[in-house]
Amino acid sequence: MNWPIPSRREPTDEQMEAIVAAAMAAESADARQEAAPPSAAIVWWRAQMRARQEAALLAEKPIAVVHAVSIAAGVGVMLAVLGYAIGAIKGSWDWLAATLPSVAFANPWVALTLTTTTFLFVGIVSVAAYVAFSGE
Amino acid sequence: MADVTLLDAGRLHGEAAAADADVAFAMDEDAFRAFYDRTSGPLWGYLSRISGDRQVADDLLQEAYYRLLKCGVAFESETHRRNYLYRVATNLVRDSRRGARPLFDSGVEIGDVPAAAGYASPEQRADVRRALGRLKPRERALLWLAYANGSSHSEIAGVLGVKTASIKLLLFRARRKLAGLLQRQGAAS
Repeated sequence: MNWPIPSRREPTDEQMEAIVAAAMAAESADARQEAAPPSAAIVWWRAQMRARQEAALLAEKPIAVVHAVSIAAGVGVMLAVLGYAIGAIKGSWDWLAATLPSVAFANPWVALTLTTTTFLFVGIVSVAAYVAFSGE
Repeated sequence: MADVTLLDAGRLHGEAAAADADVAFAMDEDAFRAFYDRTSGPLWGYLSRISGDRQVADDLLQEAYYRLLKCGVAFESETHRRNYLYRVATNLVRDSRRGARPLFDSGVEIGDVPAAAGYASPEQRADVRRALGRLKPRERALLWLAYANGSSHSEIAGVLGVKTASIKLLLFRARRKLAGLLQRQGAAS
C-alpha cells in the first residue's frame, strides 16, 4: 500500500487524511504483529501478589505506630524519673556535705566504710543496669 | 512461653491479614481474563507507540491493569472501562520520565517485523516511525486513538483529559504535522 505524497504543493485536507490514515494503518499493523503481552493469568497473579504485599504493609503500619509511641512514652517516663532522682540526689548531697565532714573526721573507720559502700553501690548498680538492658 | 516482640506481632498480624485478604479487585478473575484478552494487544500497541519504548510498554501494561483492578470505579459499560484503562495508561506514559525512545531511532528494527500483508514497504514504514518519533507524545496519542483504535472525539477527550470541542483542532494539527513530516521524508528519499 502506498500513500500519496505530493512533493511540492501543500496537501489538501483529503490528501492529509489519506496520508495519515495509511501511515497509521501500517504502523498499527506493525504494532499488532509485535504485541506480545503476558498472559492474563500472569498479570492476574502478579496483581494478586502485589495487592497482598500492599495489604501486609498497610496492616503493619498501626503496629509500627504503637511501637513508636511506646518508645516515646518510655523515654518520657525515664526522663521524669531521672529529673526526680537528680533532685533527690542533690538534696542528699547537700545533707551529706553538711554532716559528713564532722563524722568522717571524728572517726576514720566511718570515712572508710562510707567510701567503700559508695563504690560498691555504684559498681552493683552499673552491673545491674548492664544486665537489665543488654539481655533479651 | 516464647517471647513475642511488638515487631513480631506486627509482622504476624500483617501476614495473617495478607493471607486472609483475597484481594478486593474491581473485577473477578474470569471477567478480567476476558477483558484483558480483548484489550491487552491494542493497549500494548498504544503504550509502545506513545512511549516509543517496548520495554516501557511492557512495564506500564502491567501497571495499568493493576490500577484498573484496584480502582473503585463502577463502570457503566465495557467502553467506559476501556476508556478508563487508556486514560490510566496515558497518565502512566506521561509520568514515566524516560528520555530514550528506541522505537523511533533511525534505522531500528523495521526489518525485524515482517510487514502485514498489503501494507507499506519497509522504507515507508521506517519513514512513518521516524515521523511519529518527531511528534509530541500527545500528538501520537491523538492520532493513535483516532486512527488505530477508531475512538470517537469524546472518547479521545476522555482519555487525554481535554475538552471534546478541542479534539477536532488538535487532531487536525497533529494530522497536518505528520503528513508534512512524511511528505518531507518522502521528498528527501
